[in-house]
Amino acid sequence: MTVQLDDVTVHFGRTCALESCTLTVAAGETVALLGPSGSGKSTALKAVAGFVRPSSGRIRLDGQDVTELPPAKRGIGVVVQQYALFPHLRVEDNVAFGLRAARRPKGEVTRRVAEMLGLVGMTSYARRFPRELSGGQQQRVAIARALAIRPKVLLLDEPLAALDAQLRADLLIELQNLRREVPTLAIIYVTHDQSEALALADRIAVMRDARLIDLAPTTTLYQTPPSAFTASFLGNANLLPIKSSNNEVTVAGHVIPGVQPISGKELLCIRPHAVRLGAGGVPGRVTGVQWRGASYQLTCEVADVLVRVDLAADGAVPAVGADVQLVLPSEACSLVSR
Amino acid sequence: MLVWTKPGKALTWLVFGLVFGILVIAPFAVVIAAAFAGSWNGVLPSGPTTAHLQEALSGDRLASLSVSLQTAFLGGLLAVVVGTWSAIAAHNASPARFADALHHLPIAVPSVVVGLGLLVAFSRQPFLLNGTKWIVVIAHLVLMVAFSYGAVAAALQRVDPSYAEVAASLGASPSRVLWQVRLPLLRPAIASAAGLSVALSMGEVGATIMVYPASWRTLPVSIFALTDRGQTFTAAAEAVVLLTATVLVVTLLDRLRGRPQT
Repeated sequence: MTVQLDDVTVHFGRTCALESCTLTVAAGETVALLGPSGSGKSTALKAVAGFVRPSSGRIRLDGQDVTELPPAKRGIGVVVQQYALFPHLRVEDNVAFGLRAARRPKGEVTRRVAEMLGLVGMTSYARRFPRELSGGQQQRVAIARALAIRPKVLLLDEPLAALDAQLRADLLIELQNLRREVPTLAIIYVTHDQSEALALADRIAVMRDARLIDLAPTTTLYQTPPSAFTASFLGNANLLPIKSSNNEVTVAGHVIPGVQPISGKELLCIRPHAVRLGAGGVPGRVTGVQWRGASYQLTCEVADVLVRVDLAADGAVPAVGADVQLVLPSEACSLVSR
Repeated sequence: MLVWTKPGKALTWLVFGLVFGILVIAPFAVVIAAAFAGSWNGVLPSGPTTAHLQEALSGDRLASLSVSLQTAFLGGLLAVVVGTWSAIAAHNASPARFADALHHLPIAVPSVVVGLGLLVAFSRQPFLLNGTKWIVVIAHLVLMVAFSYGAVAAALQRVDPSYAEVAASLGASPSRVLWQVRLPLLRPAIASAAGLSVALSMGEVGATIMVYPASWRTLPVSIFALTDRGQTFTAAAEAVVLLTATVLVVTLLDRLRGRPQT
């Protein structure tokens, strides 16, 4: 099923929580809404689910206008950050909730609940109450409950944000598997965590200050970010001010070979892992060294700008205060506007 | 722990014990002692007897207890229904503040004034309730709605709206969401509202004394009347009965609350 947001604006009192958001998610596609808190990503999701009413714009499911429909009539699965499992119901009754609301026959409910609990690996917990489960287990049940009603659209609102790092990684893999199990499902995935967005999404919509600012396929957005905000938010890119002249781009007076100037783009974007140390690069000074287990992250000062550099942990690491030269390979550089 | 030293702790406990003992325990102890006293002329009561208690439990006086219990359950529990209903209705609605103020009005004004108002309002046709038990029940209902509303409205503030939203997204109709999700989540608050309403209703005097008919005299009113006539020991015995009944009822209602959720 295709989800369409057509110029949707949401106001809460006087504050504008979402401003003319237009987005289409195709059947089988996963789109991540990525942005800092307060950027409007959750509001967009709530508008699709029907929890908030847009002050203008339309929401369509498969071309049909659902803007005025209550959430119960939309048939959309929703998973939220705090799980929202009904605390007074056992796991199996939580999963059966939507099926019973639709008055499905008893036998079908039992079968579907067993199937869903099997899908998320929670079969042996059917008789437990939510408070007897860990956070990760609760979120699995919440996913099973949302999928039990066979939704054609699944909305995930920061589903992993309340879990610790190890569980988050595990559940991320399970979500990837889930996409293969239900191939026609359209998924909107709200997160502030770029690694979740990169791992799951076909396309990423970057949001900032109630607006959708960039929307592109995941790899495109990562490799050639269209804006400075997206570049730094997605992949923590370095942004270096440049001077352009006569088909040459210079950083701190040093020509970067192979990079062509583009008018109006005044920043050079390069990922920390793409920067190399070596002869003939832009001169800089090391101001910090952080060991990260598999790598070191150096902070270098280049013409008043701090540049992050990832170094393999097995190589030589310069000390703080050392003068280094930063090589910026042209294939890893892209130019963005301020 | 703010106080670390041993003498400091001892002193804190001593001060607490004195204040709590004098203000809370002592009046109870005196009432209980008076209920079993034959006479009380010296520092301590003398001539222990159960005569007062027997009188308090005799037919005519026991009727007051029955009246109090009926009023408390009828008025108090109706108040829980009305209070819960209006708290849920007002929650997140635009006139929520207005509803808050309106519901707190009966406890903001003196209960005697509430009683007087009801007396004036319901003494003429077509709403002639003066002289019936219903005017007492209504007085209790009006006063207890404020407490029920407050308890449920406060609990609603703490309930994550996602529960109701997710239930709706699963296809549940608004009434299904109400009965199967929202009310069960509010059960602890509703149970404590019920306990509070019944307990307060059992002890209500101010409004009751303005409106009660001779046929519907609650226990606190009876205690007040006895004390007024100087029959302190019988009044004390009735007070012990009232105390015991209230504690029993509230304990029973507290059981309804069940184990805490989440």
